[in-house]
Amino acid sequence: MLLLTTAWAGEITLWHAYRAEEKLAIEQACTVWQTTHPGTTVLPVAVPYEGLASKLEAAIPRGNGPDLFIFAHERVAAWSEGGIILPVEALDGAMGSATTALTWERKTWGWPLSVKSLALFYNKKLVETPPGNEAALWELVGRPKPEGQFWLAYEVASAYHAAPWMHGYGGGVFSGEKVLLDRPENVLALAMIQKLASEVVPQEPTGALVTQLFNEGRAAMVINGPWMLGEISGVDYGVASLPVLSSGLPAAPYLSVEAAFLSRDSTEARELGAWLAGPEAAKIRQDVGRQIVARDDVESDDPVLNAFRKQATVAVPMPVRSEMGQTWEPLARSLRRLTRGAVTPEVAAAEAQSTYAILSRPVPPAAAPWPYVGLLVAVLVAAAVWFIRELRSVKIRPWSFAYLYVAPAFGAMTLLTVLPFVVGATISLFEQEGQGWTFVGISNFLDILLARDFPLSSPLSFVSTLAVTILWTVSNVILHVGIGVALAMMLREPWVKMRGAFRALLILPWAIPSYITALIWKNLFHQQFGAINALLKLLGAEPVSWFANFSTAFAANLTTNTWLGFPFMMVVTLGALQSIPRDLEEAAEVDGAGAWDRFRHVTLPLLKPALLPAVILGSVWTFNMFNIIYLVSGGEPDGTTDVLVSQAYRWAFTRGHRYGYAAAYAVIIFGVLVIYGRLANRLAGKKVV
Amino acid sequence: MATLDFVGVEKSYGAVRVLHRVDLSVADGEFLVLVGPSGCGKSTLLRSIAGLEEISSGELRIDGKRVNDMAPADRDVAMVFQSYALYPHMTVRENMAFALRLKKHPETDSRVAEAAKMLGLEPLLERLPKELSGGQRQRVAMGRAIVRRPKVFLFDEPLSNLDAALRQQLRVEIKRLQTTLRTTTVYVTHDQIEAMTLADRIVVLQGGVLQQVGSPDELYNDPTNRFVAGFIGSPTMNFLEKIEAGVVIGVRPNDVVLGAGPLRGQVEVVERMGFESMVHLRVGGEALVVRVEGEPPRGEVQLRLERFYRFDPATGARLR
Repeated sequence: MLLLTTAWAGEITLWHAYRAEEKLAIEQACTVWQTTHPGTTVLPVAVPYEGLASKLEAAIPRGNGPDLFIFAHERVAAWSEGGIILPVEALDGAMGSATTALTWERKTWGWPLSVKSLALFYNKKLVETPPGNEAALWELVGRPKPEGQFWLAYEVASAYHAAPWMHGYGGGVFSGEKVLLDRPENVLALAMIQKLASEVVPQEPTGALVTQLFNEGRAAMVINGPWMLGEISGVDYGVASLPVLSSGLPAAPYLSVEAAFLSRDSTEARELGAWLAGPEAAKIRQDVGRQIVARDDVESDDPVLNAFRKQATVAVPMPVRSEMGQTWEPLARSLRRLTRGAVTPEVAAAEAQSTYAILSRPVPPAAAPWPYVGLLVAVLVAAAVWFIRELRSVKIRPWSFAYLYVAPAFGAMTLLTVLPFVVGATISLFEQEGQGWTFVGISNFLDILLARDFPLSSPLSFVSTLAVTILWTVSNVILHVGIGVALAMMLREPWVKMRGAFRALLILPWAIPSYITALIWKNLFHQQFGAINALLKLLGAEPVSWFANFSTAFAANLTTNTWLGFPFMMVVTLGALQSIPRDLEEAAEVDGAGAWDRFRHVTLPLLKPALLPAVILGSVWTFNMFNIIYLVSGGEPDGTTDVLVSQAYRWAFTRGHRYGYAAAYAVIIFGVLVIYGRLANRLAGKKVV
Repeated sequence: MATLDFVGVEKSYGAVRVLHRVDLSVADGEFLVLVGPSGCGKSTLLRSIAGLEEISSGELRIDGKRVNDMAPADRDVAMVFQSYALYPHMTVRENMAFALRLKKHPETDSRVAEAAKMLGLEPLLERLPKELSGGQRQRVAMGRAIVRRPKVFLFDEPLSNLDAALRQQLRVEIKRLQTTLRTTTVYVTHDQIEAMTLADRIVVLQGGVLQQVGSPDELYNDPTNRFVAGFIGSPTMNFLEKIEAGVVIGVRPNDVVLGAGPLRGQVEVVERMGFESMVHLRVGGEALVVRVEGEPPRGEVQLRLERFYRFDPATGARLR
């Protein structure tokens, strides 16, 4: 018994999300440590990254968590306040910036293992020496270049990629503890970004495009992180620090630090954690795991790792304050407007700050829950009374088997649809603040419906988003049905040869996962490299910046979704046409009806019973079509093409986790669709939904 | 006035020819019946008048005007379909008014009322086709045709979905209507009784070839070949091949006299029908049906052929 207890006490569990060589390295390091600690067993457990954070947050407070775990430093603030992690002594020889990243409320909260930040990749064939300062950078990018080549490519409109310039000019997101996006240093950085966007980098650059250009030798330099290393092929490249700016400060990217965190205290765990971050383990992690280790005293023979390490020493740790979450979208929004040339740097900075103010508005005051509880109880009692009365009038006995058969479906529906809905509806009455939830009653709903935080005309307001959503739904459904029915009618014509092949081809867009289609179309609409603009150019027309205007961005979304949507209507129509005797159309033909009259007076009314449910279904799908909006226009320009669901998504996940507000959005969407279903039923004159 | 002319009309589907050089003229106001077995091309011929089938060669004229390439809508013909083809989402009134409405005809309402009265459809005007019986639907289909006052009526086996009693009743009604309206009519049927009772002239078709065109009497009394002789007349003609070498003898069941004569037969079956009976005989190893009024004979009988036709056994052509 005694033996068992010591054995248990001598075991250290370590959770990490490493794969491949990094996993190998950490396991090897643990084994080495164990040779000097024979009484202790180390148990490294690889947990998929996607679930790691929520697993930790669930397991540790209940005592089921690991002793140590490895994660990025961004949650230090929340986790130290939530008691998920314990403070540790700062480590000698650790990179200063990494230690800073792990410091919160004057304590150190982990042992830094590795670092990641942006740096400058350069193609050695095209660039001899990477520019060390801003003057050299401008000189280099000002040199003549062949058509279709770029001296520099990077995601110019991303807030993450804007940080180096902001820091380099002495600015940044925070000024002290406050978010101050519109200070003059940031305006300087935005001016530089605007110049880069208009004169140097390719238009609408995405991560994939940047990598592609670099691999094809069309981008001489790119700014990217170590995650691009695995994707480079066939280029002789080097990595260097970002240049020193005219302010005299180096352009400083954000630094992410991966650290070992202590979640259950023991001497052995503390020893192991510190050792994993120490020089001996760092060497293993660097040589075996190819990590950019967070130490000043380890040198690699790989110049790329050394370059990244050097960049990390001047990098700015990613802020861990909760306000950070609400700064991404305002900055990104302003950057997109800025790089399109729609606003000046001053205006962009001011807009970013004012949007931040809207998104970060304080949580509504707590409401007294008693009226709501009272109402809920009353509703539940009424429902129970009604149910019992119904039950009495219904004879269950003769149908008991039928109920049994229905039970699994009923159970599944309850579990998968009813329960999440109830949970969502409940969340809509709360708002999250730090780790806790505040009951706010219906104020989320009032805020949304009355547009309390912004004017009605703002793309953020519910009314304008609803208007866009309705326009989106109506125009989609008209096109889907129009094209679907037209193609179905055509496929029925006797002169169409190879009907089966055409039918299969036309159904194909439906069979391909919608996000793949969305991404393909997104690329087709790319201003500089997209096929559509290439075609326009070929026809002698000016290329269109598709996502710079509401109408063109909306049209791009509409085109993509129409491509996805018409096959369903076509299939429904083809099926329905089978049941319409040809005689009827012949009769109409003889009766003197032309093709259009025949369609309008005979075919269409007969298609109606089959089409109407499809139209209602299609409009609900389109109303809630998240993929296309999110992936094609992404709400561009300035969130004007967002529909209600994508708006709700943004409130929940990209605007500082306003779950309550987002849930209220979802409930309102549900309400709108219920009303629509009712109206549609009345219009149809019978029950279809 | 509306005449109808087929000049060397042919129709093929790919390599298959379904109509062979049809030359035919229909007079104004004439009731022409196309008759023949299934697949003989009679429906194709009718549909080509409507314009629902294109003809492959030859010329089709309505009122002397070539209509080969004219759309059905412009031909001013009305058609009653075998399935009636009533628009299921329209009431009887809307069905009947459809063609005139399309043209925004000023007399739409009065013409519908008139036709409804003629056909006894007045109480049914607001009903949907699915609420009607088969006979009522058939009447609506006719009403839809009448309302238009077209140059030509086309009927495609309009009575084949009805029971015998209704069929007989409607047959009379169609005849009465046509007599009143005097509209040129082409009527397709596979039922030779309908053909005989309705037609001014009958066209017998087989395998896409016109066999004979003539009045019911002509066809009955003077068939040009064995096919027409066998197809027209009920009960059908007997064909005896062993009486005269190299000739097929055709004799109708009522042209045989029993009791005396050169031939001898054995009674096999008797079908009693009240006033008359069908006596099935075996004569020289061949079957012969004889219509007898009064008490039918039994056992062996003597008989003679009062009137008969002679056909070439190889070609089926009449030998005169």
